[in-house]
Amino acid sequence: MIPVLGLLAGLAIGIFLNPAVPVWLQPYLPIAVIAALDAVFGALRAVLDGIFNDKVFVVSFLSNVIIAALIVYLGDKLGVGAQLSTGVVVVLGIRIFSNVAAIRRHIFHA
Amino acid sequence: MTQQGRRPDESMTLLTSMLERPLDPGYQDAADRREAAGLPRATSTRTVLVVLLAILTGFLFAVAAQSLRPKPTAAASLKQQLVSRIEAFQKHASDQEARVAAVSKQVRDYEALALQQSGSADLTGTIKQLEVDAAAVPLTGPGLTMTIDDAPSTDVDGNAGSRPSSDFEQGQVTSGDLQIIVNGLWGAGAEAISINGHRLSSTAAIRFAGRAIIVDFRPLSRPYVITALGDAGAMQQLFEPSFAGVYLSELMHQYKIRSSIAAADSLTVPGDSAARLEVAKPLNDTVGSSPPSVPSAPSVSGTSDPQTSKRGPAGSTTPAETPSEESTS
Repeated sequence: MIPVLGLLAGLAIGIFLNPAVPVWLQPYLPIAVIAALDAVFGALRAVLDGIFNDKVFVVSFLSNVIIAALIVYLGDKLGVGAQLSTGVVVVLGIRIFSNVAAIRRHIFHA
Repeated sequence: MTQQGRRPDESMTLLTSMLERPLDPGYQDAADRREAAGLPRATSTRTVLVVLLAILTGFLFAVAAQSLRPKPTAAASLKQQLVSRIEAFQKHASDQEARVAAVSKQVRDYEALALQQSGSADLTGTIKQLEVDAAAVPLTGPGLTMTIDDAPSTDVDGNAGSRPSSDFEQGQVTSGDLQIIVNGLWGAGAEAISINGHRLSSTAAIRFAGRAIIVDFRPLSRPYVITALGDAGAMQQLFEPSFAGVYLSELMHQYKIRSSIAAADSLTVPGDSAARLEVAKPLNDTVGSSPPSVPSAPSVSGTSDPQTSKRGPAGSTTPAETPSEESTS
């Protein structure tokens, strides 16, 4: 419950402050959001499985975001930016789907 | 990966590990380690680290949502501002016109009063007749309604208007067309003509500014409805074979400009609110020798002569400019 309140607090701060994102950072925002979503759902599933560990959560979150951004950056430099980001999005999307399905099985037993 | 535990689909480990084990194996390893150390398998979800990360996540979502939202282009917001300014000024203009109509009615009442007070009432009839001729008062009567509109193919261009061209396309009604048609109606015996609610006096100017047709510096919007008071049947008979009627039918055939005529028994044209007094001189006899009781109502003794106005000719094609203040003598 407390983390959910923290999430809401973060949302409120983001909406209130409304920081201007620098232009060079804007292409990485969607990837960062998806990577963060993947880490969050992984943590939710771990909580429901009973094996949550906050250090693992932090490390997985940060490494997901940084590695996804690095892959996109590398792809831009190599000229395959669109394809690499597609790959990243596909993989993270599949992982999100699987985690959400496991959470659903836990919650609804269905 | 031990030798005896090789799976038959080992070459697909990438896909299988992605699909079958999306949960970070770190969780499992950490849980096993903690269990071996005698601690409960999971740590609490209420540590500072988790809360901090939750706040960071929420912040990231909010920032991404706001910065990735498509913003209206600068052109769209500028257009919106211009549209609202135009509407505000149009409303202001129609309010002022209503005021002018009310005040000029007051002026006429004072004039009649002044004439009566000075002891001679037989000029009231002359004044009324002259006002009708000068198109200063609204009139009602039978007549024709002619509706003219652009060719249908120009309809699709409705909102694509970012081209600031001042040329008329072929299918559009031009100010010259309206001039010819209105002159034809006058020649066919119309007693009073108004276009889209703007009365045409003898000094009326039909010009264009950019792509809009303006009458007396007021813009018209399509379709153009010309109301002409007079004998409907006789007007139609005289108009159709005249030069203007032939011109209009050529427009309809060649450029597909739409036009329709309808006769009616009772049409109303408004008075010309822009009729201004420019020259006045007293009569030679003793009428009006006592000064009028209201200083702002100069006596109209028969010299509101429309031909002494200083407006430009109705056929000129200069773009519209704001009318300069002309002083009344």
